[in-house]
Amino acid sequence: MGAAAVVIVALPLLAALISWVAGDRPVAGWASLAAGIGSLAASLVAVFAQNAAAGVRALGGVVYLDGLGGVFLLAVAFVYAVVAVYSVGYLRPGIGHVRLRHLYWPLLNLFGFALVATPLVDNLAALWVVIELTTIVSAVLVTAEGNDASLEAAWKYIVIGSAGLAVGLLGIVLLYAAGAPALGGSYDPTYTNLAGAASSLTPTLTRVAFALIVVGFGTKVGLVPMHAWLPDAHSESPSPVSAMLSGGLLAAALYAVLRLGAITVGAVGPTYVRTLLLAFGALSLVLAGLFTLRQSNYKRLLAYSSIEHMGIVSLGIGIGGPIAAYGAFLHVLVHAAGKTLAFFGAGELLSRYETRSADHVRGVMQATPFTGVMVLVAAIAVAGMPPFGIFRSELTIVTGGFTRPQYVFAALLIVMANIAFVGIYRTFHRMVLSTDRRDDDTARVTRSPQPLMAAAMLTSLAVLVVLGLWIPAPLNELLHSAAGVIGART
Amino acid sequence: VNPAPHYDFVHAAAALIAIATLLTELALLGAKLVHEQVRVYAVQSLLAAAFVMLVGVQRGQADLIVLAALTVAIKVVLIPLGINRQLTFQAAEHEVPLVIKVPMSLLIGVVLAGIAYWSATAIGAIGVALPEPVLGMPIALVLIGFFFMISRQNVISQILGLLSLENGIFFATVSLAPGMPFVVGFLILFDAAAAVVFYGVLARLIVARMRQTSVLDMSTLRG
Repeated sequence: MGAAAVVIVALPLLAALISWVAGDRPVAGWASLAAGIGSLAASLVAVFAQNAAAGVRALGGVVYLDGLGGVFLLAVAFVYAVVAVYSVGYLRPGIGHVRLRHLYWPLLNLFGFALVATPLVDNLAALWVVIELTTIVSAVLVTAEGNDASLEAAWKYIVIGSAGLAVGLLGIVLLYAAGAPALGGSYDPTYTNLAGAASSLTPTLTRVAFALIVVGFGTKVGLVPMHAWLPDAHSESPSPVSAMLSGGLLAAALYAVLRLGAITVGAVGPTYVRTLLLAFGALSLVLAGLFTLRQSNYKRLLAYSSIEHMGIVSLGIGIGGPIAAYGAFLHVLVHAAGKTLAFFGAGELLSRYETRSADHVRGVMQATPFTGVMVLVAAIAVAGMPPFGIFRSELTIVTGGFTRPQYVFAALLIVMANIAFVGIYRTFHRMVLSTDRRDDDTARVTRSPQPLMAAAMLTSLAVLVVLGLWIPAPLNELLHSAAGVIGART
Repeated sequence: VNPAPHYDFVHAAAALIAIATLLTELALLGAKLVHEQVRVYAVQSLLAAAFVMLVGVQRGQADLIVLAALTVAIKVVLIPLGINRQLTFQAAEHEVPLVIKVPMSLLIGVVLAGIAYWSATAIGAIGVALPEPVLGMPIALVLIGFFFMISRQNVISQILGLLSLENGIFFATVSLAPGMPFVVGFLILFDAAAAVVFYGVLARLIVARMRQTSVLDMSTLRG
């Protein structure tokens, strides 16, 4: 476990160093690609071969991996790997618009490092630091297209994100103070220490701390009403970075909320944590779902869909009980696959049509059938249709809602999922299948699909289909164990 | 409670620092020019360092004294110097466009401070180093710093609002959890410095490319 953990975090760091030295040479991309895939392989080993579901501690208490961390580690490592593969293609001349090429690879690898380190660290302060690192590096990546809109988006992101994380830090400090009566004035804030003393944490302080944590880290999750930065940052960054933000960053921040939530559950019981998550989850689901109906920018549309999906995960955890929590954790994995596929497709559209406006993209299927199929399948999958994994996880959460019973929230999920389906599918259907094109709606760049970009998309698609039809036994066990960590065994 | 030898002196000094810090926060709301705001921030950070020093001496914790020295180096010297270098790049005498004018801002600041004191009492936070009447000060800094950020439409002012908000968290950390390992305090400090570097780069890009320091004009992205 210790060795695997070292490989997981060392490869991205090494790739960051190599790509920084290599500058604009192709070796930067290839090193990053190798690091992404290697880090994913090591994550699979750490999670499955070494039985993370049981909870493993390594490297003298620096690293801790259990079911909860395992689920999120798989999600972020997968996103980092496919984004690295896609980016090698996307940065080829004449495809993606990326101006800060000498910075792109080192920052992408640092971003990957911070993401895979998040579910591994066994310390509240370290958790906060790696999440803050994601903000700093990804904000610069958001500006990689180098235009005014991307600068504006990055500024909004960094100001709102940092303010949110400052609030989250206050929450962590209060949680530390809540542990002081039981653990002494000066203790190491590891999960073990806090979880072990959970029943003797000061209840009032713990409650206030968790509220600050939900608002603070929730800002980076994109929960409404702290989501203002998210649509801009997702829309203005280069598409592989959008995929990394949506599938990786949001998940990593949500992991922080749930990890600290697990400690809070131990201190004040599950009801308080669930109520907060239900409230923010439902609000995000409803508002983001409605916003998908009025987006003419297809990348913004996908960004609102990300808010909606983070709302669904929060709702699933908030509903409580083993079934809904299982569905919520499955949703983290399938959302990572679905959103990478969708943003990769959006990157294809952007590089061919040179516009983000859905009204100016027509006849994709005729022009480039492969891209057309991928984009349309991504839209169907992200909107929650079978046979893809997102349908399965949403159905599981709804089932969990009816067995609790939490009829209102289960019904809300059904209604909003349908509204979002209309919003997403309508837009993508028009872009891909309709042929009533005006003169300015034709693809400006025609080329056959770039092999690495296609490979990345097919990988995401394969995960979506497989998890929609079949959950392997070890993954099944992992998802159950994650539900157990946040107190949803019964 | 461990009755330290200079218990009364320490508490009186802590109370004085807390009151002075709150006044700097209100002064921040009153400052219209960016370089005035930078100076106020430096004074506030000096008070933060004095506070850490005081708690460190009282508890006999050498790590807190080192933290105080680092605070002076980074927050009182390096960050204000760095921002001033940015200011020579943009118009230093530039008045910050205010969405909410100064008198109203001060009024809102006082109300926020009141809310902070009330909520600190309601939480019943066990302040280790701050005497009871001034427990609300860190929370007041967080609330007012946040208000400053959203009401000052200048990129540098927004950074300063964030940094002042972080000062509030710094006070909260030292007063609520003075035993929190040194490495945590150091990381937070280091992080503030790194963030400022990145914000500075971004602010410079915004000024250079968009020819503006006011985020009022940055309104392309909506909905």
